[in-house]
Amino acid sequence: MSRGGQSRTRLLLVILIVTSLFLVTLDLRGVKLLDSLKQGMQTVVSPFQRSANFALTPVKNFFTDISLLGRSGSQIDKLEEENAALKLELIERQDADAALEQLKGILDLAGKAGYKIVNAKVISQGSYQSFARTVTISSGTNAGIAQNMTVLSEFGIAGIVKEVYPNSALIQLASDPAFRIGVRIVGSQQIGFLSGRGGRSAVLQLLDNSTDINEGDVLMSRGSIANRPFVPGAPVGYITTVDNSAGTIAQSASVRYYTDFSKLSVLAVVVGSPNPNPGDALVPQKPRPIPTPTVTVFVTPTPTPSN
Amino acid sequence: MSTRLIGISSLVFLAIYIIQESIVAQFRLPGGGFSILVIFALSWAIMSEREVAAVIGFSAGLLMDFSQNASGPFGQWTLIMLIAGYCISYLGYGDDNFFGGAIGVVLSIVVINFFTELLFLISGPLLGVSIGSFSEIFYTLVGTSLWTLLLTPIVLPIFVRLHKEIFQSGSIA
Repeated sequence: MSRGGQSRTRLLLVILIVTSLFLVTLDLRGVKLLDSLKQGMQTVVSPFQRSANFALTPVKNFFTDISLLGRSGSQIDKLEEENAALKLELIERQDADAALEQLKGILDLAGKAGYKIVNAKVISQGSYQSFARTVTISSGTNAGIAQNMTVLSEFGIAGIVKEVYPNSALIQLASDPAFRIGVRIVGSQQIGFLSGRGGRSAVLQLLDNSTDINEGDVLMSRGSIANRPFVPGAPVGYITTVDNSAGTIAQSASVRYYTDFSKLSVLAVVVGSPNPNPGDALVPQKPRPIPTPTVTVFVTPTPTPSN
Repeated sequence: MSTRLIGISSLVFLAIYIIQESIVAQFRLPGGGFSILVIFALSWAIMSEREVAAVIGFSAGLLMDFSQNASGPFGQWTLIMLIAGYCISYLGYGDDNFFGGAIGVVLSIVVINFFTELLFLISGPLLGVSIGSFSEIFYTLVGTSLWTLLLTPIVLPIFVRLHKEIFQSGSIA
């Protein structure tokens, strides 16, 4: 290559590197110069994603059927649904029992909020190339979805709405390394923060070191102001291992999410909750006297037959 | 490079990007899957001169940054792919080049793909990107490398043919 050619190559390389660094700097400084372009690109790609999802569903089903050889898919689905319902019921029961125990029978858990949800189909999964864990769902602003709304799976927390477009939305899964959620432990009511680790496991960090946490303890979401990004009382996961290292400021533990992120096909976005202030999700109630059952037994003496 | 070539190349890049985002993204492949856009960009870069390879890497990185799944700041992938494109072309330049044939080309793409991932990992924390646990990183790095190794021999002839069709017919015209 001639000297002129080398100079030209160097100049081009410098221009491209400076441009890249300029873009990075703009983004890090919060200049949303390219957001509209990014949104435009997603609007272009979204119809292709829908079409591909529609066209490739039989292929995906074929591979799923192969992986389920010897078993009935519908039966598994039915059992999983029943199992999920029972798990939710059990968690709600445990949570309510713990709250009643802790508050000596005068507090009640108002966790059954009756969320208003929008169901959406998962139309694509984000590439792992960037080590992020995301999926795209088939509903967006047109269905009432907005940024930072809670996303639930059949088992509990699945993630939050990261970006929203007219007919699709990008969901940051709870397994994403950048995902953080405030949680409380059912029973002890201790609060802490849960961080995603890329897979189904997560790291819990409690805010103090004074209480004991145990394997199997259930975690619920703590909720946020105006229910965004998190609604309170949604099941998150359970503790698998407790880190008992001496000298740590806050206790930590490994947590397994209830949601299986590899099997997401339908998700629900919580678009409204009857409780406007999630901070008061646990409303104390007046203790109600439990009526003591009185059993009255009437005994009619029978005359002893005389011999 | 003529305007016509740039136009056609841009359309090809856009098509590959749409394939990646709409078709490849449908499948939940074990190990994190692969990026057809990265394989494509590296394949074309390997066949190009250094300055063209840098532009190819830059364009592919820009598209990757446009992806809604990109977790880092806008421009991170642009910079990484620019470096990757230039490096792979640099290694392939001259008579005593690094690639001794088709196998060498495939292995080089796999290795450079691995290093782009590694560079993303290294630069990520500097730019505020959370990258997850060691086991997940290892799983993804190994997974994407194996997928790239598996897929590159299949798609490489197509990409080479495409490159020849566009650039050779373009140079004649």
